[in-house]
Amino acid sequence: MIKIDRLKASIDDKEILKGIDLEIPAGEVHVIMGRNGSGKSTLANVIAGNEAYEVDSGSIAMNNNDITEMSIENRALEGIFLCFQYPVAIPGVGMAYFLRSALNAHRKHQGKDEMDALEFLNNAKKILSELGLDDSFLKRSINDGFSGGEKKKSEILQLLTINPKLAVLDETDSGLDVDALRTVAKGVNKFKNENNSVLIITHYQRLLDYIKPDVVHLMIDGKIVKSGDMSLVEKVEKDGYSWLEN
Amino acid sequence: MGILGWRTKMIDSIKKNSLEFFNTNGLPSKKLENWKFTSSRNFKNFSEPLSNDQKSVDFDTDELSLVFINGVLNQESLKNFKFSHLLEVQSLYSVKSKNLLECSDNFLNESMFNLGISEFENGSYISFKKNSVIDEVINIKNYFLKDNEDKRISSFNIFHIGQGSEISIMEQDFKENYSIFNLKLNKFICEDSTIFKYGKSFNDNSKTHSLSYSYYQLKKDVSLKIDSMVKCSFFNKEFIEVDLNNTGSEAKINILNLGKENHHVDNNILINHNAEHCTSFQHVRNVLDNKSTAVFNGKVIVSEGAQQTDSNQSNKNLLLSLDSNAFSNPQLEIYADDVSCGHGSTTGALDENSIFYLRARGINRAAAQKILIKAFAKEVIDDFSLSSLQDISEIALDSWIDG
Repeated sequence: MIKIDRLKASIDDKEILKGIDLEIPAGEVHVIMGRNGSGKSTLANVIAGNEAYEVDSGSIAMNNNDITEMSIENRALEGIFLCFQYPVAIPGVGMAYFLRSALNAHRKHQGKDEMDALEFLNNAKKILSELGLDDSFLKRSINDGFSGGEKKKSEILQLLTINPKLAVLDETDSGLDVDALRTVAKGVNKFKNENNSVLIITHYQRLLDYIKPDVVHLMIDGKIVKSGDMSLVEKVEKDGYSWLEN
Repeated sequence: MGILGWRTKMIDSIKKNSLEFFNTNGLPSKKLENWKFTSSRNFKNFSEPLSNDQKSVDFDTDELSLVFINGVLNQESLKNFKFSHLLEVQSLYSVKSKNLLECSDNFLNESMFNLGISEFENGSYISFKKNSVIDEVINIKNYFLKDNEDKRISSFNIFHIGQGSEISIMEQDFKENYSIFNLKLNKFICEDSTIFKYGKSFNDNSKTHSLSYSYYQLKKDVSLKIDSMVKCSFFNKEFIEVDLNNTGSEAKINILNLGKENHHVDNNILINHNAEHCTSFQHVRNVLDNKSTAVFNGKVIVSEGAQQTDSNQSNKNLLLSLDSNAFSNPQLEIYADDVSCGHGSTTGALDENSIFYLRARGINRAAAQKILIKAFAKEVIDDFSLSSLQDISEIALDSWIDG
């Protein structure tokens, strides 16, 4: 699915990613954990193509297609979806209009006809119901006046509507109460299947109680220093990260 | 408050005095606060005033429309007007009540206002009778004689909304692509318990210059809504002054300006809170591309004793190019101690984080920018009180963005 090879990236001439190697096959859920400032969110943004970051060397490939130089929107159309840690509010742009525009951009890219408004609304309402959100959510402006939980649910609504190949969840669990966490996890579990992949960036085990990862990676100072199974998460919960530096 | 003091026998004298005022003071200079960022040099290109020439002009009218040709009410459209039985119309020369002719001191000190007074001919006093409740929107259609291209056209009309009336007016210019200098003076009197909605749209790619002075006098428990959309105006400067003279009244002003090329849009708004328990709201948004310029001079004066005033003033400017400019000057003068007044101004480019967010969902940069521009403008359009102006503005906005 996605293969990252010796990736180095910087922002404002400061190197953040110092040689990332990561491969996530289709059907797998991978987790990256690490201290604040270790480069986790930078990796998520670089995968999504955020132009604030400069790729200094290395490559990113989706299904053997090099996307390192690809624009943000083309990466999205190729199947990369970033669940934002801090989704921006855009007053004046309705959720329904936004979701349908995004969905139809993907359908056009896939050579499909645009989805008509009625079919879109019916699909969106089903997803909203599963996320415990009212239909009126679609009439609101993007993330404008949303609570922290609603913002994250909005991201999951977008994920389930667009149905990408790779979902990158950048600390989607932060700031969520237990109920919202369960709802978000339910949405991610609904999304994942043998044809897509999930990359979860998190500090905590609690989301992983609901979404079982196949591989856990630990990141220190811009590099993945250890990979393994869920036992790594338990070790981090118990001992932190200092043992990795020895 | 000044009084023009016209009576038929005095009118020539008043016009003569106004002309003397203009001749003494000349075209407004940038030394004046309201003209600091506005050049009047192009006014000279329209120096020849219009003669009182009422040649026929082709116009479309219907039973809901009042047609003005070169700023003068067309009698034929008045005859066809469905609600003419609710109107009293007379020439301004016939008006004898001094109260009806009261005018803002600020306007009387404006050189261009005086020029307009000295030049207008055949102005009308249009009065809606007491308790005139009209559900439908009345259209004011402005037509201009084509052979007056490059001429200055001065007009003055007074609208009087009778007690207990509910009136909605939508004003539009209908002009082919030729240039004039439209110097327009209006006065609006809203009696007790009136609801008056006044929408305007201006969409003109010619080099027309539009300079207008609109003075609103509000009595008790009046609801006034002024909505305006200006697209592609070479020069559009508007003075709005609202007097909240009695308790319980509100004035809400929503303005959207769309500028490109060398366009200049300019709003000068003064709200005078002269009584308790009144509300005012100003919301002006400018979207500026290329070398266009916008000016916002907004002022709220809360007089001593105007307690429980609730006032808000907002000016937001979206700059789409490095060469566009917005000059914003929101002001509050408060002489009462139990009031709620706020004001704010922002100027900036499109938010790159928002663009990134939209692009990360597969929407390309150009489309993302269009969505954000539209969202910025829509926040004003959605607040317009007339759905017809909302519809016109949305179409104009789409073509402006795509153009």
